[in-house]
Amino acid sequence: MKRLISFALTLAVSSSLAMAPAHSHDMVPGKASEGAVLLQGATLHTVTQGVLTEQDLLMENGKITAIGENLTLPEHVQIINLAGKHVYPGLIALDTTLGLIELEAIRASNDLAEVGNITPEVMGHHAFNADSEVIPTVRYMGITHAEVVPQGNLVQGRSSLMQLDGWHWQDALEQGPVALHVSWPRAGLNTAWWERRTPEQQRKANAEAITQLHEVIRTAQTYHSARVAGTQTLVDQRWEAMRGLFEGNLKLFVHANDRRQIEQVLEFNREFGFDITIVGGRDSWMVADLLAEQEVPVVFGALFGLPSREDEGYDVAFSTPAKLHEAGVEFALAYPGFWDTRNLAFGVGNAVASGLDYQAALAAITIVPAKLMGVDDRMGSLEVGKQATLVVSGGDILDPLGQDIEYMYIDGRPVDLNNRHRQLYEKYSERLSR
Amino acid sequence: MKRNITVLSATAVFAASVSMLSWADQTTPVRGLHERDPQLVALTNATLITEPGQRVENATLVIERGIIRSIERNNRAPAGARVIDATGYTIYPGFIDPYSNYGVAKPEQGGPRGRSQAPVYSNEREGGNASNAAIHAEKNWYETAAAQSGDAKRYIEQGFTSVQSARFDGIFRGRATTLSLADRLPNDIIYRPQTAHFASFDKGSSTQQYPSSLMGSIALIRQTLSDANWYKEAQGLSTSNGALEFNAALSALSNIASTGVVFDASDELNALRAARVFAEFSLPITVVGSGFEYARINELKAANMKLILPLNYPAAPELNEQFAELDVSLADLRHWERAPGNAAVVANADIPFALTLHGLSKTSDFWPNVRKAIDHGLSPQRALAALTTVPAEMAGIADQAGRLAAGYRADFVVSRGDLFDQGEIVSVWLQGEENELKPMNPADFSGEYALTLGDKELTLTLSGNGRMQGKLVAGETEVNLRAVSADNDSVSFMADLGALDLPGTYRFAMQHESLTSFSGRAVSANGSAIALSATRDEPEAAAAETQRNAGTPEYVGRLTWPNVGFGVSEQPTQANLHIRNATVWTADDQGILENADILVRNGRIQRVGQNLSTPRGYEVIDATGMHITPGLIDEHSHIAISQGVNEGSEAVTAEVRIGDVVNPDDIHIYRSLAGGATVAHLLHGSANPIGGQGQAIKLRWGQGSEGLKFAETPATIKMALGENVKQSNWGDLYRVRYPQTRMGVAALIRDYFQAAREYEQAQRDYARLSRSERRRTAPPRRDYRLDTLVQILNSERYTHVHSYVASEVLALLDVADELGFKIHTFTHILEGYKVANEIAAHGAGASSFADWWGFKFEVYDAIPYNACILKDAGVLTSLNSDSNDLQRRLNTEAAKSVRYCGMDEHEALKLVTLYPAQQLEIADYVGSITAGKHADFVIWNNHPLSAYARPQQTWIEGRKYFDREVDAAQRERIAEERAQLVEAVLSAGSEANRGERGGYRATQPTWHCETTQDVWRGFETFEALHQHDHSQHSEGAH
Repeated sequence: MKRLISFALTLAVSSSLAMAPAHSHDMVPGKASEGAVLLQGATLHTVTQGVLTEQDLLMENGKITAIGENLTLPEHVQIINLAGKHVYPGLIALDTTLGLIELEAIRASNDLAEVGNITPEVMGHHAFNADSEVIPTVRYMGITHAEVVPQGNLVQGRSSLMQLDGWHWQDALEQGPVALHVSWPRAGLNTAWWERRTPEQQRKANAEAITQLHEVIRTAQTYHSARVAGTQTLVDQRWEAMRGLFEGNLKLFVHANDRRQIEQVLEFNREFGFDITIVGGRDSWMVADLLAEQEVPVVFGALFGLPSREDEGYDVAFSTPAKLHEAGVEFALAYPGFWDTRNLAFGVGNAVASGLDYQAALAAITIVPAKLMGVDDRMGSLEVGKQATLVVSGGDILDPLGQDIEYMYIDGRPVDLNNRHRQLYEKYSERLSR
Repeated sequence: MKRNITVLSATAVFAASVSMLSWADQTTPVRGLHERDPQLVALTNATLITEPGQRVENATLVIERGIIRSIERNNRAPAGARVIDATGYTIYPGFIDPYSNYGVAKPEQGGPRGRSQAPVYSNEREGGNASNAAIHAEKNWYETAAAQSGDAKRYIEQGFTSVQSARFDGIFRGRATTLSLADRLPNDIIYRPQTAHFASFDKGSSTQQYPSSLMGSIALIRQTLSDANWYKEAQGLSTSNGALEFNAALSALSNIASTGVVFDASDELNALRAARVFAEFSLPITVVGSGFEYARINELKAANMKLILPLNYPAAPELNEQFAELDVSLADLRHWERAPGNAAVVANADIPFALTLHGLSKTSDFWPNVRKAIDHGLSPQRALAALTTVPAEMAGIADQAGRLAAGYRADFVVSRGDLFDQGEIVSVWLQGEENELKPMNPADFSGEYALTLGDKELTLTLSGNGRMQGKLVAGETEVNLRAVSADNDSVSFMADLGALDLPGTYRFAMQHESLTSFSGRAVSANGSAIALSATRDEPEAAAAETQRNAGTPEYVGRLTWPNVGFGVSEQPTQANLHIRNATVWTADDQGILENADILVRNGRIQRVGQNLSTPRGYEVIDATGMHITPGLIDEHSHIAISQGVNEGSEAVTAEVRIGDVVNPDDIHIYRSLAGGATVAHLLHGSANPIGGQGQAIKLRWGQGSEGLKFAETPATIKMALGENVKQSNWGDLYRVRYPQTRMGVAALIRDYFQAAREYEQAQRDYARLSRSERRRTAPPRRDYRLDTLVQILNSERYTHVHSYVASEVLALLDVADELGFKIHTFTHILEGYKVANEIAAHGAGASSFADWWGFKFEVYDAIPYNACILKDAGVLTSLNSDSNDLQRRLNTEAAKSVRYCGMDEHEALKLVTLYPAQQLEIADYVGSITAGKHADFVIWNNHPLSAYARPQQTWIEGRKYFDREVDAAQRERIAEERAQLVEAVLSAGSEANRGERGGYRATQPTWHCETTQDVWRGFETFEALHQHDHSQHSEGAH
């Protein structure tokens, strides 16, 4: 009997190993160019300084050093003629789990969420797999950076901004940790089919979670002041990880979708005054004026969202970015997930189709996310002095009919746009042609 | 143990003998003395409602030994009768509840829910029972019948005297029995031992896997009814595979046509579904309703059913907290308002119906709710019929109960006042025995008395019911009374009479002499007594009896089809159209036509051309600057499905039909229209190698389930390969079902199709028998599962095969080629690009996701170039959604083939129009803007593949089902109606809180291919857990 059991165990182990996917791709990170590169004659979507048609952009030592016509060129400049093409800042994908998971159904490939409700100590970049096969497929769609967010139920952990062409996470880490992510307790009732608790049980659980969250914040606050005062000598990793909130160098990203949640978050922050951002924001259009007035930014994450309530219009999610813009809310647009984050630009195009101003749309995936990640001093727009982090598209990057990413540079380094999908495409196209 | 029984029965005899009206049991030997109590009772001077609409005033009801002996109109009692003066009382026939589980054995617990237990695939067999544990047709519930006085009380208090009863457990629940609620021997309470078969879709305590979905339950009912017919026919005949088995369940169903069926349906859609499946066997049914019947009353009427209606109106949604209405749908608010009007709607539709206490958690709400139904338009006479004559028919006791007539059971209700107005039940008589609920002639002592106490003249005032109080007054002096209490004919109290010059406390007692005069005495502490007498004015006569008439309710909420916010008040009309000056993407050989016109006539495309003239009577649509495409077609959809997308229990479930469970209420029908879709092929999930039958629908929002069906579509079926069917992600307990490998999948499919061939051969052999041989030989049993596979073999049903990896695709083609049948369309087929040549060679089509991957191991090689390669290899290729989100934007899914691999734009559009139409074999009707085809088209404001394109209008067969402008107006109307109903709830006060909690429809989940639910035992699934984490996502697929 014992032998049988050990045999079964061995089998289980070996089969799970067999399931584990290959964990690296064969695209080599770009090499810093020796000389200068001139992108010539393209339409430049600077984001911060309007659209410049048929102008040149000069990159040197990883930076944009000049933009305009008839630029003075250094010696040994590589000139790329981009007449008719479009140049955009690299797209920044917020609220992703890129690099934390490879295949949803394979537990071994999943590093999304730590055990427990209060895990501020974890940092997304620690598990970021720079060699994930998924990453090159995301780059292929114009995305140069991604915020990597630990998942969880209440205090999730801290996110970081990664550039998507690194050897390993340290190489890829652009900024981090950037923000503590909190999943705001549910407000109102869950009416989904799988909810088995009574309304009373739900209300009680919601209230308990809010109490727990307040307790966590207060404990961390007390811990911080005790550390400052020198009265706390023992280190608690969790509260240590939250000290940045009180020192002002860690942002608070609160995941909240329901109108009542968002209002609770604003109310909560009246007391604490954190540098706060609403993530998700499904109902943010309902409280857009309030968000604008309190200058709380939103990372809206339901670009193709279904209405969350039966009586809502079919396009309520599609038109939310336009409403936020109209009300003067600062907002970024995101496509939460990992492999599907590559559709970010198309989701934004969908928002444009529902009335969002095109420039505001571009800003929402470039300069605004850069600002929210604290890197707008060096990326997020085509500006002299900023990183040469940009993409060249054959046409309109937000429209599947136009998007055709021909070049990508991150910090001046050319990025290999090949990926697993193209490789398989080429392999089997070859079969077809034989 | 034996002693206990003896003691118990002795007690029962004793208990019976204290009653004046008991009579001897007919077969039980007498123990002790023969009791010969007088048995004749007369209730005199009553108002008798002998049956609905029949009223006899000043009548005497004479009963004897549990039977009504006579009704005397002369108000005289027969000599020797015990006379009960019922002056001022109304007597109704006792009420009958045709749907109950009173007095029969309760089911055993069904074990824990969910996936924590190893799956059970087989039923324990004993006594010739059915192979499925949800079939209990052989049970006769009279066999367990026994009075349960505690349970009876809740019925009796509402005036019920008998019930039709069976255990509420399973699909075929066995034969009900009709029982009196009297507390007597089972032999006496069984009014009719065998009545209707009870049934439902819910497998109840069965832990067997099959069926796990609504469509599975329907299929099981179909197979069982068919088996019952076959079993009857096969009796005494020889069969091809040995002697005919004994099957108690099938035997019990042999006479179901005469016994009738009472079917518990959870809502009106399930009522229609039940009626349809039983109608296939020419069996009319009585349906236990839900209170939602009003929402589809015409369809119910047409289905020719009877109804048993609960009166379990929901409590209003809780709206006390600010913005609580965000969690409440307009559909729920509407139902709160209209639920009390349901019975009136049913009555006005002239559908025979009875009322039931079933479903009402607080039975004291029953009469308030009956009266509410009357206020909402139900006539009191119909209400009475629904409690007496109609249920008497349903329960098989119309010859003995349901009316007051000589020879009928002495089961009746005595009420003070009109019960359908403000009246109250004072007693309920069961088999001639009174159950007093309230005293019939309660003494009422409250009032003002002139009281003579010795030589003093005082005024006595008594007030209050139950806890009484009072005072004695003499001039200016007032003395409050203490310890006032009254019984039926005397009142007593204490008073300190010091202020009246009688020191000390006196104890008063006085009795009725007549209605107005009283006598008694007051006794002090030392025993001295003072005589007293008192008189009062005659108490006011009871107010003249009022009557409640059917009300005419006015509702704030609208009633639409379906009855949700975006439902429609009327069906769109079919218009003849001249659409002018559009860019027309024909999706046929005409290509993309600039500045083109389309004529639409009688729902069909009449002509496509340029500068056409407008025929007389045609409506003109100026489409300048607009693009027109055919309506988008989704090869793979799971919207509009009720209670389970997978019958994922057994490896082969080819008998189940999505067409049985089409859900016309699903808001995603409308949302998909808004995205330009007009046809969706609703597929069974992918939990088993041979799944269920598919159903194509047109998105005719507002139609019922049958009106949605795209009737011209040939039959289809889902098959599936790979991880889902081998249960890779179902947890460790699910490792026993064959197959668990791709090798086994191929072998199993091969096996079943082989069996289907043999099954077909057996039928052919039987058909070839001579007439005399056929008289001796039973016909082969019809097996719906194998029937379906025979259709596939004969190309009468097209396969849509969920598949991913190259190996499994080639294996299936290998099996199909060997057995000589065709795989019609591979769906998902994400590694199709690896075997495109082989798929093309077989002649199969392929329907892919545009760019999904990364969700499980078998999609790790999925690429967004799949459609391009397949198409280049000559495979008929389409793109599908498998998602209620993606189904709204198939156009931009198609555009991804332009983005990734430069597909021609017109060809890309065909991926979601013409090509899926061809895969569904409906291209003769839809899929392109071609003269003669259905006028199913979309008007876009932009290039239809662009991210910036928005459908402006969506038309099906010349009817406009979506229009952005109409939609905008609809939103305003919804907001307004919501506000009005929320205000109605907020202002309704506490009455809004009365009613059932959770009395609203359960939201149907978003179904996916791999949602492997057991809808009867809870939805614990891998997929469900997965969804919890990803509720934010655009929901996909798989």
